[in-house]
Parts: sequence; structure tokens; C-alpha cells
Amino acid sequence: MSTNSTEKKWDRRSADTAERLEAASRYIGPGKQFKPEDTVALLEAVIRAGDRVNIEGNNQKQADFLAECLNKVDKSRIHDLHMVQSAVPLPVHLDLFENGIAKKLDFAFGGPQAGRVAKFISEGKLELGAIHTYLELFGRYFLDLTPKVSLICAYKADRQGNLYTGFNTEDTPTIVEATKFRQGIVIAQVNEIVDKLPRVDIPADWIDGVVQSPKPFFIEPLFTRDPALVTESQILLAMLCLKGIYAEYEVKRINHGIGFLTSAIELLLPTYGEELGLKGKACTHMILNPHPTMIPAIESGWVDTIHCFGGELGMEKYVAARPDVFFTGPDGTLRSNRAYAQTAGHYALDMFIGGTLQIDKFGNSSTATASRVAGFGGAPNMGCDAKGRRHATDSWLKVGKEMPTLDRQIGNMPRGKRLVVQGVETFGEGRAPVFVEQLDAWKLAENANLDLPPVMIYGDDLTHIVTEEGIAYLNRCADIEARMAAIRAVAGYTEIGLKANPDETRQLREAGIVKTPEDLGVDRSRANRSLLAARNIRDLVSWSGGLYNPPARFRNW
Amino acid sequence: MPKWNDLQEQSFLESDARARAVGLVDEGTYTELAGPFDRFYSPHLEVLGEAVEFDDGIVTAVGKIGKTPVFVISQEGRFIGGSVGEVGGAKMVNTIRLAIEFHDKLVAEYPDISDEEKPVVVISFETGGVRLHESNAGLLAHAEVMDQLQKARHKVPVITLIGSKVGCFGGMGFVAAATDAIVMSEFGRLGLTGPEVIEQEMGKEEFDSSDRALVFRTTGGRHKYIMGDCNVLVHNTIAAFREAVAKLAVLPVSEFEKMRRIGSPEAVERQLRAVALAAEMQPQDARDVWAKAGNPDPVALTDIPLDEFIADVKRLSV
Repeated sequence: MSTNSTEKKWDRRSADTAERLEAASRYIGPGKQFKPEDTVALLEAVIRAGDRVNIEGNNQKQADFLAECLNKVDKSRIHDLHMVQSAVPLPVHLDLFENGIAKKLDFAFGGPQAGRVAKFISEGKLELGAIHTYLELFGRYFLDLTPKVSLICAYKADRQGNLYTGFNTEDTPTIVEATKFRQGIVIAQVNEIVDKLPRVDIPADWIDGVVQSPKPFFIEPLFTRDPALVTESQILLAMLCLKGIYAEYEVKRINHGIGFLTSAIELLLPTYGEELGLKGKACTHMILNPHPTMIPAIESGWVDTIHCFGGELGMEKYVAARPDVFFTGPDGTLRSNRAYAQTAGHYALDMFIGGTLQIDKFGNSSTATASRVAGFGGAPNMGCDAKGRRHATDSWLKVGKEMPTLDRQIGNMPRGKRLVVQGVETFGEGRAPVFVEQLDAWKLAENANLDLPPVMIYGDDLTHIVTEEGIAYLNRCADIEARMAAIRAVAGYTEIGLKANPDETRQLREAGIVKTPEDLGVDRSRANRSLLAARNIRDLVSWSGGLYNPPARFRNW
Repeated sequence: MPKWNDLQEQSFLESDARARAVGLVDEGTYTELAGPFDRFYSPHLEVLGEAVEFDDGIVTAVGKIGKTPVFVISQEGRFIGGSVGEVGGAKMVNTIRLAIEFHDKLVAEYPDISDEEKPVVVISFETGGVRLHESNAGLLAHAEVMDQLQKARHKVPVITLIGSKVGCFGGMGFVAAATDAIVMSEFGRLGLTGPEVIEQEMGKEEFDSSDRALVFRTTGGRHKYIMGDCNVLVHNTIAAFREAVAKLAVLPVSEFEKMRRIGSPEAVERQLRAVALAAEMQPQDARDVWAKAGNPDPVALTDIPLDEFIADVKRLSV
């Protein structure tokens, strides 16, 4: 027995890693630093064909230099890589598949490369593992998709190799923890190497190599919505949401999507929201990137807490100056963390509200189109009812109480339900109908050989639909027939909407399942831009007392 | 018709041409000239099968501010970018002509008439210049407007207002520069060649039109105020523009000569000195010129509150 156990090796992973690092050691100097010109050679030393590799890149922080270098490795040696990463937003991420270096992809969000992902799948260049949510993929990093090598990104390193990820910490701690503690290899690119970091976000002994990239990593202001582009129709929808949902349920813990509807809601909090007496009763705790359109509500004292997935360009000083609201480090700058924000988003939110491209007649919704494998990032985790939730809040309980058929599933046991709200104009981008017989996701599933049509929010999780016609309170519907009728009633002049039966709609209104703006007492004529607390980016700068520094593309003064 | 009171605090930037025109004159004094019901629209667009507007995108009207008769021209950027064609151009020309004729008649009948009782012309620009669909007719219209500006000279002050989305570019940039006084908000933009055209002709290194901060600090109200191209810088409300017009309208016409950019040997010499300075300085950015004007922290000038800016900023003198 004892001889058997001594023969069996239990440290093959760490031995393998040690062997690879030994091969790379000639490039790595003090403080784990290596030179940009040695990067390709270093990657060739630490990566082997068939490895699972993570390139950090999500919304606001991209290991773009390391991704470019990975494209330059000798593909006769390094090929068939299995990429496991949150997002593939950069062309270089897909070039890996075109160049024959990578073969398989497990991810959560496609972004601008979504079209190429679909094309590569159908051409056989890319083998798709699955489209995940962020939390789901993070979970698999610690189970069956642990990366062997991770190429990560930070703002700064010090001379010992400690990293500062700062404002845009995002996915870094999750990736590093999964990789390093399973004896993997972590390589970091940084914008600069300094003597002293503002704070240490990743300790040096979790890192194997650090390079100062020739230019700072690519970053885009993805979450900034210019109030000047908010339409009166969006303002009407926002008024309906505030009166018919925020006030009705007094929802305190919220995630806002990144569309113009939710930015309209944010800009109406200090005006219409205050008029409805909602301050202190709704929107007190939020899971959000630092949206600039939240500034007026924060300044007006609406918000107790905001935890962020990532950062947003231009909001650095403002956030640092509001530490009572945001999570900041001992150095005073924001600490974001996608894994924790998504955990809060999945378990602790009372409401998720956002938009979508399509809703089918049953209430399933998706932003996928026939030729784009987009993925949904974190929306499905927040846009669903977390079945593992055990703590109660008033709004969560109220939605549960309103469900007429809960007893058919769990008898007389009380239970709550998260509000999952989709706010859409019945005709969306390019005048395309939002309400459709069948989602384009079905066609995508066929085109890209997916096992499932990619659905962002399933109909049974959806509790409310808000359109310019009014609100459908789907949680109050007894069965799928009633849900479909309620959806038809608010679907306007789309083909789905034209099938609504006026008698049926009247009954739904009498039952409080459908409410028009008039039923809710929302005056349509007040839906104009003068109701916005800020009407342009300049106003947001003024609200912030000059702390918000908008990126150049948003400046019109 | 929008309510006058509601218009006053409305954003000038977001207001359409008619709202601006109505809100600029005193309540109840607005009379539209050649309005939509008269259906003066572009025959050229019709031939091309394009949509027309019954006012051709230019609102012309007469009203009063205090004792001053005000002839208003207001351009609509949402109709083909505020472009000026034959009909809209003719409306501009004839509005200025009416103001001049009215002035002459008043002075003939009432030789003792005060400055504040004499008419002024106000043009709210929102345009990229000539409407390309009707190029020659549109160009001719520009020339005719310039001709009327010369005829109005020393008689009827012509006041430019710029604070709408499209700004004031192309041939109409020349027209605005030839008026007597220019009032802008910080959201207004004034120039000749538009940012996209500069980029297209000279390359992104010369001028990156997607860099809005750069575009605004090169053509926007704050910069134009420092450069002296803009005489009065105001807040972004119709009331603020109206107040600026009211203050100017009572001045004797001789005062307007001092505000002009062109039209006298002194003005030409000043412009030449500015060109010489530019050649000597070779500025890489508007901020270089702001610093030259005596502003110690040019970067901060962009974001400080407007009142603070107006109080503290040093304007370029050449």
C-alpha cells in the first residue's frame, strides 16, 4: 500500500508549471519583469498546444498587447488552444481562431465580434463550448474550465510585481485566483511600472511575469449615455416605470441596464421621482457601473450604496469624492469587482430593469440576431428569479403574493419573486417590431449549430413589460394564455399587438393586469425633456461640481 | 404655437426654429412672415422627389422687444441640416429688406425717433451653408443675403445668434461673420469648413472630427469669445439670448461698428495682425492661443462654470 502511494505522482500540474517557467526564466528579470520585445518568446515558453488559456478582457480593461503577441507565436508549436474568457470584444481575440492558434471558445459576451463568432462557427474555424453568463463561467473556472495560463491586465505594477487594477478591477481577482491556485501561470501587462502602488490589488506572488505594454490598454466609455439623446418617448416609459413599478413596489435594490430608458429613469429620479415621494423609498441600493446619468440622483441624496462591476471613463474623480456611496480602497479610488457585483446582482437585487431587441409572444426575450453570437454577459443572472434566495424584502414578497398560481407549485408556502422588467418601445431600432412571433435566436441556433436558442430572459422570469401603451403585470397572470393576452395588450401596432382583443384587454385592465398611462395617472403631455434633471453632458458636469470629466467624444462645449 | 412663458427657460440648444423665433420677441408680438400656410417651399426638392417643408426650413417673423421692432430669421437644423436654398434664402433676403425699408420710412416720418425705436434684424443660425440639392440658387441666395447686410449697414443692426445643434458653418459662416454682432452660447459652433470636411480633406492628424472636445475648443462659443469672433457669450436658454438681444437693440447703430469683424480698414488691420500672430505662434491647439491671451490655466477654462468663465477669462487682443 505504502509503496503504491509513493509511486503515484500528485504534483504533475505544479511540476509542469515549474518546467515551463524554467524555460521562460531567461526572459524574466527582477520584479518578474520582462521586456515587451521578449513577449512572444515568453508566451511560446509558457503555453503548450491544447492549453486552456484566458485573455482578460471585458468591458473596460483589455489585455490587448498580450492578445496581439499570442497571435504571433509559432503555430506549428502552439495550436488548438481552448480559450476560456469573459468576452471577445477585440478583433485579435478572433484572429487567434483565424490564425489556427486557438480552436475552442467558452465565453459570456461577444460584443463587436459577435458576427465573426457566428461566421467562424459555421466555417468550422471555431468550436463553441457554450455561451455562459459571467457568474456561470466564473464558476466553471473553479470546476471544469480552469485556465492553465491567464494573460491579465492591470494599470500599474511595482518593482516587486504587485499589481494595481484600481478603478477597473473587474474580472482580474477571479481569473488570477482560479489560475494561480490550480498551479497555473499568470502573465500581466501593465500601463506603467512604478516604485509605489496606490494599493495592492493582486499580490506579486500570484503573478509569474509582468510587462509594461508599449501603449496603455484600450478603453472605451461604454456606459455613458448622453442625456441630450433621451427622447420624449423614453421619458414617457420612464414615468410609467417610476409610477407603475418603482412606486407600486417601492423597490430599493436595483440594477439598471445600460440603455437610454434606464438613463431616462436615472435622470427623472430627482424630478418626477421626488414628486412621487419616492426618495428614500426606492433606488437606495444599486449594482451598477458608475453611470454618469446617476450623478443628479446621487447628488440629490437618493442613493445609499453603489457597487460596481467595473469603472467608467471620466468618473474616476467623482467616485473617489463620494466614498459614502461607492466602494473604494484605502487609497481612495474605486474598487470594482465583477464577480461580487454579479453575486449581489443574482441574489440580493429586488429588481432588474433593462431593454431588449425582441420579445416573443410568450414573453421570452433576446438581443441575439440571426447572424451574431452575442451572449448576454451578466443580464441573465440579474434578469431571473434566484431560486436560492432565502432573505425577504417587501418588494420581493409583494411580487410573490401577487402570483396567483404559486400554490400549484409549493402549496401554501409563501415565497417572493424578483421583479424582472423589460422596458421597450413597441418598435425599436430601425423601426423593427420588438414584439415578434418567434425570436431571431431560433434562426441563430440553426445557423451556428447551437444546442439552444440564446435567450436573455425566459418568459417565466419576466414579471413586467413596459411599453408606450402601458404596463403588463405578468406576475399577476394565472397561466401562459393570460400572459400572452397581457403581452398582446401592450404590444401596440406590431403584428402581435394587432391580435389583441379589445374586450380581453378591457378585462385585463379591470383586473389590474394591464395598466395604460391613463390608468396609472401618468400625464403623457408632461413627458418632455424639461423633466430631465440633466439635459446634456454639460449639466452632468455641473451637477458633479466639476468632478466628472467626460471623454472627448461627449463634449459639446 | 408653444406657450411663450414655457419657452423662456427652455434650452436654446434643443429648441426648434419656430420656438426660438417666438421666444425671442415679447409675448404676443410675434407675426410670422411667409409662414407654413403660405406654402413657399423648394421647387428643386420637389423635382428631385425629396420631402419639402412648407417654410423651407427657415422661419421669418416680426415682433417687438420693448420698443424695438425686431425682424427675426430662424433656421431649422432638423430640415436637411439647416441648409439654405433658393426659397429660404429669399425669405432671409426679403426679411432684411423689409427691415431696411421700415427703418427708412420711420426715419422719414419721425426724424426724432430714438435708437431703441429703430428696427433690428436677428438671425438665429443653424446651418451648414448651401443646400447642395440646389447649389447655384443656394449660392446666389448667400450672395444676396450678404448684399442686404451691406445695405443694412449704418441703418439696421443685424445680430447673429448661434447656439443650436448644427452650429453655423459653410457659406453661412461667412454671412454670420459679416453681421454686426454675434451672440453665442457655449454649445454654439461657428466656422467655415465643418470639422468632418477638414478631416476628409486634410486627414485625421490635422483635425480629428470625432474628437468633440477638440471640435468645440476650436469652433465653440467659449473659444470664439476668447478670439473676439463672438461678442456676447450667454447661457443656454431662450431667455438669455433674448436678454442679450434686448441689451444690444437699444444701442445706437454706431456702437455696432465697434463690434464688427470686417468692413473697415481698422478691422482689416486687426485681422491681419491676428494672421501674423498665428504664423509666428504656430499654435498646435486652441489652448495655446488661450494661454497667449493671458490665461494661466487654459485646460481649466473648458469646464469652469460659465459665469466664472465670463468673469475671469482673458480675451485675445491683437
